[in-house]
Amino acid sequence: MLDDIINHYNEAVFDTDKEAAFEVIDNALAEGYTPEDIIFKVVIPAINEMMAIITKDPDANLAQHFMTAQIASEVTEKMLLQFKSPPEIVGRVVIGTAVGDLHSLGKRIVSGCLKAMMVEIIDLGVNVAAERFVDEAIAHDAQVIAISAMMVHSATGENGCRKVRKLLNEQGLESRIKIAVGGAPFRFDPELYKTVGADAWAADGISAAKTIVDLIHEVNAK
Amino acid sequence: MSFESALATLIVHSDGETQHLQVDVGTCVRDALDTTAIRVRAACGGTGSCGACVIKYLSGAVNPATLAEYQKLSASERQEGLRLACQIRVVGDTEWLLEHPAHVSSWKSIAPEDLIPVEGQLPELQHFIYGLAVDLGTTHIRISLWNRKTGQRIANRSGFNPQSVFGADVLNRLNAALLTDNRSLEMAQLARQAVLEALRDILARDIGEVSPMLKEIGSVIIAGNTAMLALLSLNGANQLLNPDNWQQPIDCLPLGHDTWQSEWNLPNAKIKLEPALAGFVGSDLTADIIGTRLTEAAGASLLVDIGTNTELALWDGHRLLVTSVPGGPAFEGVGIRNGMSAEPGAIYRVERLDDGHSLKLSTLGAATARGFCGSGLIDMIAILLESGTLKPSGRFSQNPGPDGFLAEAENPKTAVTPGDVDALQRAKAAIATAMETLLTNSGLTWESIERLCVCGTFGRHLNIRHAQAIGLLPSLNNDKIELYANATLAGCEKALLSDGISLFDHYAALTQVINLSYVPGYDDLYINNLRLRPIEMHSVINT
Ligand code: B12
Ligand code: FES
Repeated sequence: MLDDIINHYNEAVFDTDKEAAFEVIDNALAEGYTPEDIIFKVVIPAINEMMAIITKDPDANLAQHFMTAQIASEVTEKMLLQFKSPPEIVGRVVIGTAVGDLHSLGKRIVSGCLKAMMVEIIDLGVNVAAERFVDEAIAHDAQVIAISAMMVHSATGENGCRKVRKLLNEQGLESRIKIAVGGAPFRFDPELYKTVGADAWAADGISAAKTIVDLIHEVNAK
Repeated sequence: MSFESALATLIVHSDGETQHLQVDVGTCVRDALDTTAIRVRAACGGTGSCGACVIKYLSGAVNPATLAEYQKLSASERQEGLRLACQIRVVGDTEWLLEHPAHVSSWKSIAPEDLIPVEGQLPELQHFIYGLAVDLGTTHIRISLWNRKTGQRIANRSGFNPQSVFGADVLNRLNAALLTDNRSLEMAQLARQAVLEALRDILARDIGEVSPMLKEIGSVIIAGNTAMLALLSLNGANQLLNPDNWQQPIDCLPLGHDTWQSEWNLPNAKIKLEPALAGFVGSDLTADIIGTRLTEAAGASLLVDIGTNTELALWDGHRLLVTSVPGGPAFEGVGIRNGMSAEPGAIYRVERLDDGHSLKLSTLGAATARGFCGSGLIDMIAILLESGTLKPSGRFSQNPGPDGFLAEAENPKTAVTPGDVDALQRAKAAIATAMETLLTNSGLTWESIERLCVCGTFGRHLNIRHAQAIGLLPSLNNDKIELYANATLAGCEKALLSDGISLFDHYAALTQVINLSYVPGYDDLYINNLRLRPIEMHSVINT
């Protein structure tokens, strides 16, 4: 039964059909599933399932990634309003685009997926200075700084991720705050994240959510 | 539906290579070869006065020998079948042997039908009557030499920008240049040398004198995108990477003017690098506006120059809204598995045959298919969409597997992959969204657009119906859509012929720059436009 719901939901998402996805969710609610069930038993497993699909079919296109994130975060927001008690948060992430970079879509997709995984997002917007990433991460007690960069110079420049790493190092925060990066340049060169001093990277928003949740667990385990 | 002009096949053998050209009856053999890699030797503008363009007749129908050929070729040479290529007109299918071709040059003439006729208010001139127009593109450099006194185009050349080895798109180029001072100097010199080389090629082949002629050039007008201008002049490249500078003009005019003049050996020329409008909106857009006479229609007109960096201008009757969007590289083959630029072997057109499923591929130079250039890729995807092989979401209805969908059985160079479709969707969505954003910003709708001028990459090969079906171009009536291959060059040429007033400054004063990065909602529209479907023509304008 639940498997059917997950399958239908995923089919709709994969076809970038938002209305159909919401219909699946509404039907599930009508059948007596609670909002908590929807999130933990449908949306989150669906994202995991989607991750498996994408690994097998790496050609999922941008619209699909975007819709997956968009639908998942909209469903989550709607369900959260109906939760009986406030949900338990997995962790906190500050996210933004690297300094000089105004490409906002990658950040939106990653945020959407993270929200659906019950991660709290502090969105710093675009063109974010390294100092601000670090200050906000400290202020919000975030475990991860997530930096999106779509251009070669914003991904590799001295004032982007490299500087965030330098600041974390100088302030002795490296075990408390991890850095995740992503965006087109990292997809062309899978080793680039190391060069710029990040702890992890991901090729798409859905795997990004998993990568970042793993980093949160790593920090929390300490 | 197509004009019935009689075509003939011109076959030329040279050095073990063969060119098959489809030409109009009446075409001059030298002119036809000048657009290819096999060129005849030449030292006059094809007037029959230098006698260098000797070529040997094999078979077929052409005009009889002209007076010039009687003067330049001996009776025994004529007996052997030797002729002067500039004097031969094709009458029917014909075949020739070129035993002594010109040295291989990367500079070719632009096909005459791809040029825009240009007239101007001819300047009053006594000296230095020649002028040079330069379109400094990211991928191509195009130049033309003019007699400014008579308003006559002497010749033109087109070739690749040699800076491409440092990166296909403008940012990679800027990043490379900013690495070291030496590197940026090297890149500037590459472009400068390329222009000089093209100019020398014209002087040597179309006039017959080089050094004395260089002194006779009185004016050079150069237009290009902001990054190309900055790289050429060695000024402004670092400002370009900072978004704070994008809304306003960036100073990328050469610092030391004289050094440049001597480098080019043009002692009497006024070299003018036309200033860019903003960070990523170059003077190539201003040149397009001039070249297409965008502001001359009574109603609103939209111009889109699709290239590595796509630039747009919307004329609403009073002002020009301009912007740029990075949607181009996919259409030049970048990031497409079998993508390539418009070179021999590129599939530039795909048609579905009457049987409903077999495909007919047309390649440039009628060579074996080596990949798709922009127009071919658009045809291909539109046809796959039409036949249901592709869904509007961009997914194949049946996964074609790792080899992709083959347009031609057993030729892997004709494969289209899901990744290619995604890249094309991203590119066309960026451009469509930019057009919509300009309309919204001036309170216009598609219905009010009288002219849509499409310049750049596609030249005249674009199948408009296909571009409309996938949502790259709006579904306007065909008579409102104009395709231009060389608008930027035409704009420079027009400016060359209108000494005194600067046309570029005139139009620059009418522009208002929009930076799409700061337009709220651009990203939502962008996602919407990823779908392969016609552009929404009746979108409601929210104010
Ligand atoms: C749309 C677009 C724009 C829009 C942006 C709108 C917006 N609000 O975001 C506009 C028109 C404003 C724009 C402007 C410019 N752009 Co632009 N743009 C694009 C385009 C077409 C798509 C980029 C995009 O949004 N991709 C969608 C993302 C979400 O896809 P993705 O990379 O697959 O993302 C996944 C992963 O990377 C990962 N991920 C992303 N972020 C993160 C973060 C973390 C932490 C993790 C773990 C994972 C992760 O998850 C994502 C989702 O699955 C690309 C070309 C292309 N075809 O890709 C150029 C491109 C990125 N742009 C480019 C350029 C040059 C520019 C401009 C300088 C040019 C101009 N003409 O103005 C300006 C610069 C603006 C600025 N300062 O940032 C170049 C960069 C070239 C280079 N070598 O660096 C590109 C590559 C095009 C090109 N080849 O020339 N652009
Ligand atoms: S005689 Fe033919 S080009 Fe000079």
